[in-house]
Amino acid sequence: MKTSRFATFLLVLYGLLILGFLYLPLVSVGLASISKARYLSFPIRKYAYGWYEEALTSDTVRDLLVVSLKVAGVVTILSMIIGFFGALAFARYNWRFRKTYQKLILLPIFFPQTVLGLALLMWFNALGIIPSWKTAIVAHLVWIAPIATLVVSIRAFSFDAALEEAARDMGANQWQTLREVTIPLLMPGVTSAGLFAFLLSWGNFPLSLFSTGADSTLPEWLFAKMVSGYSPLVPTVGTLTVATSAILVILALLLAWAIRKLRPAT
Amino acid sequence: MTDASQPILRINALTKRFDDFTALHGVDLNVAEGEFLAIVGPSGSGKTTLIRILVGMDELSDGAVWLRNTRIDVVPANKRPTCMVFQSLALFPHRTVGQNIEFPLKLRKVPPAERKARALELLDTLRLPRDYYDKRIQQCSGGEKQRVALARALAFDPEILFFDEPLSALDYRLRKTLEKELKDLHRRTGKTFIYITHSLEEAMVMSDRIAIMKAGRFEQIAPAEEIYARPVSKFVAEFMGEVNFFDLRNGQAEGLLMTPETAAALAGRSGTLTIRPESLRTLPEGQAADLTFEGEIVAEYLLGSRMQYRMMLATGQEMIVEVLRENGVAGGIGAALRVGCDLSAAHLIEEARDAAA
Amino acid sequence: MQRRDARLGLLYSAPLSLFLLLTFLAPILLVAAFSTMPEKVFNLSQAPDFSAYRTVLAQGYWKSVAWSLFMALAATLILLVVCWPLAYGMAKVFKRFTLVLTIGVVMTLFVSENIRLFGWVLTLMKGGLIEGYWRHWTGTGFDAPLYNGPIIVFGLVYVYLPFMLFPLAQGISMVPDDARQAAYDLGATRWQILREIDLPLAMPGIMVGSLLTFVLAAGAMAESKLLGGRAIITIADEVQTAFTYGQNWPLGAALAMVLIAIIGTVAIWAISKADLDKMMGGKS
Repeated sequence: MKTSRFATFLLVLYGLLILGFLYLPLVSVGLASISKARYLSFPIRKYAYGWYEEALTSDTVRDLLVVSLKVAGVVTILSMIIGFFGALAFARYNWRFRKTYQKLILLPIFFPQTVLGLALLMWFNALGIIPSWKTAIVAHLVWIAPIATLVVSIRAFSFDAALEEAARDMGANQWQTLREVTIPLLMPGVTSAGLFAFLLSWGNFPLSLFSTGADSTLPEWLFAKMVSGYSPLVPTVGTLTVATSAILVILALLLAWAIRKLRPAT
Repeated sequence: MTDASQPILRINALTKRFDDFTALHGVDLNVAEGEFLAIVGPSGSGKTTLIRILVGMDELSDGAVWLRNTRIDVVPANKRPTCMVFQSLALFPHRTVGQNIEFPLKLRKVPPAERKARALELLDTLRLPRDYYDKRIQQCSGGEKQRVALARALAFDPEILFFDEPLSALDYRLRKTLEKELKDLHRRTGKTFIYITHSLEEAMVMSDRIAIMKAGRFEQIAPAEEIYARPVSKFVAEFMGEVNFFDLRNGQAEGLLMTPETAAALAGRSGTLTIRPESLRTLPEGQAADLTFEGEIVAEYLLGSRMQYRMMLATGQEMIVEVLRENGVAGGIGAALRVGCDLSAAHLIEEARDAAA
Repeated sequence: MQRRDARLGLLYSAPLSLFLLLTFLAPILLVAAFSTMPEKVFNLSQAPDFSAYRTVLAQGYWKSVAWSLFMALAATLILLVVCWPLAYGMAKVFKRFTLVLTIGVVMTLFVSENIRLFGWVLTLMKGGLIEGYWRHWTGTGFDAPLYNGPIIVFGLVYVYLPFMLFPLAQGISMVPDDARQAAYDLGATRWQILREIDLPLAMPGIMVGSLLTFVLAAGAMAESKLLGGRAIITIADEVQTAFTYGQNWPLGAALAMVLIAIIGTVAIWAISKADLDKMMGGKS
């Protein structure tokens, strides 16, 4: 009944193939970013890193970066807070409308983001709010806060209710219970939720498109350049944004690994 | 029935090695047609590994398994004419009772009407009401699930039916009932049953023969009475229940009073003398048995109709004595106790044999 | 303790619930209101006349709806077949490789869809990664397989693969090993185990993955714009066009309502069937 070695080998090969399939377009983007030619054509004849220099010194790119970072940063912090409490209601406490609540907060995740962006644009317009990077934060949160809640919930589900009860039994009030027991125990989940929130906001395009107003994030600028004709800066800036995400993920994984390794020793 | 003298199952020098340890060290076993064999051992003794190899879930590293004249260890599990009742029962949660029982027949493309007739027949055999046919598995009680799993295995009509501790999760009373039913079922179907358990009690109630496993080897394979009365090793003796050991050196043992006849019988022999607590009896002052022990009661326990005493001999060795309540002694802890038994009730594990095992 | 649970649950759910009420439900209601307005107005002061819905029916927008749904369905079915073996491997066969795959696949989710699809354009275009090297080595080139219908489905398959893979793997991991072994022991072939045990018992995962993929793909437009060269206009694209170039908010709102109705029905039906406690490993 055990899967034979050969079948396992084939499955692993298939998995690597799928990973290759997922990353192949990013390889193209990466290679394109170091092609010297203004109009890209493979095979690349001359490699050059000039586009990186241009991208890193460009004022446009710096402005885009600032907007993207501001949006992602605030989204991260708010997602962690909303996600923490949202997850406790989602997974930890038994209350009357829990099942309904669980289902309702999933809806924004399924919702087509372009349409959501447009609906929000109309809504801001109706409220008399002029779209800017601040409204983009709201737009991102509609989609990201539920995801952050789900991420923290995974942790909250394995939470032993007796721990909170024990703390209360020993005289802790609600705030002390939260501070001494609940928050430390859910912290790994909240941290991953923050990472997810940052990365999803950083890479998001459809929600930003209609909600940033005169401001523009990196993915928005990239899209505009993609549809309006090739610019050699597109692969370069694209590679830079992907590299940022990748570095963040790798750092997070290393950190998680280090914490796991160090903990038993202390 | 085929030739009764030929075993239905022959296991030949079966070895199973995992990466870093050997679970089975070249075990041999013959099982007779229609036999109820229980394989008993503590957890980690290799019994589960053995049964998984026998049904084909795992592969052996060395050796061979023969079903009559066919070598089956090279046959995949789904092509072997044997089947197993799993410890978890492994009933299909998405199928009804009837569909579970019919499953092996459906795989063989038996027509639906015939399948159903057979399933109903098996419900009768297992003493389940016929209207359980459409019941969902989740609605069945523990004992009912047990019976459905058995019915499904019987629908497969295996040459040998294996059981991997299927009763271990049930409460005591239900287990006792099902043990008797299983034995009864064995008699009615005439099939060969091989039953894995860690409970010796379960094995003794049901089986014709018991094979005791320890650390990947068979320690002793024999009918229950023989294992009880004549264990081949201290391990088996202890596994069968509480027992007193006395070190015998050249016919001499400390703390043991022998009649001249007994001394003559044991003269020159060495090994471990085993005496079951319940084969001892209290002796009045002045009277001696073949083997006599004198000491002081250090603890007493009431076990329903029997009394158990822990008694300290003059040598400092503790000994367990079990007698009927009406034969108990007054005085309680600290009182003197004199007990004895016939030589025939004691069993000597000879030195060489225990060392070899 | 029960009363405390009830109170804290309600209290802690409030931030997210209130936020979504104001930023998700309210805008949708606003869209619904706009969809009833006469065309080309920018406020809600007119009497509703539902003329935008008449335009939706009369102007052949149903074709975009049908194409979007058809392509979403095609992508879902292809993904089901493509992801099954891998999901099986992740749930039942691989050990450490499951973690590698999970991290590898999740990481792609953090890269903007645009960049990934743009990468495919660079890969597949004439003079792109594949054709360029092919021509370099063999001397003969071929046309780019871009800007047509099938490549849009390809793009959907590419972008939504994780949304099928993970629910499927989760579903397969819930198939008890002993049920598979018992079926095998009772004489089932691998194919029979798949049909009789794996598929029915992994059905929750199959349903969640399929519906998630379908719903997301039905509302997609980047694949059509970037890879398909708008060879097929998707419904989400039509919504955007009506709002922006068309400057016709009621029409855009009516089209959006059609999309919301379809997706909402499927999503709500799917979500109502799922037991989230159980799926996320909690006590139910």
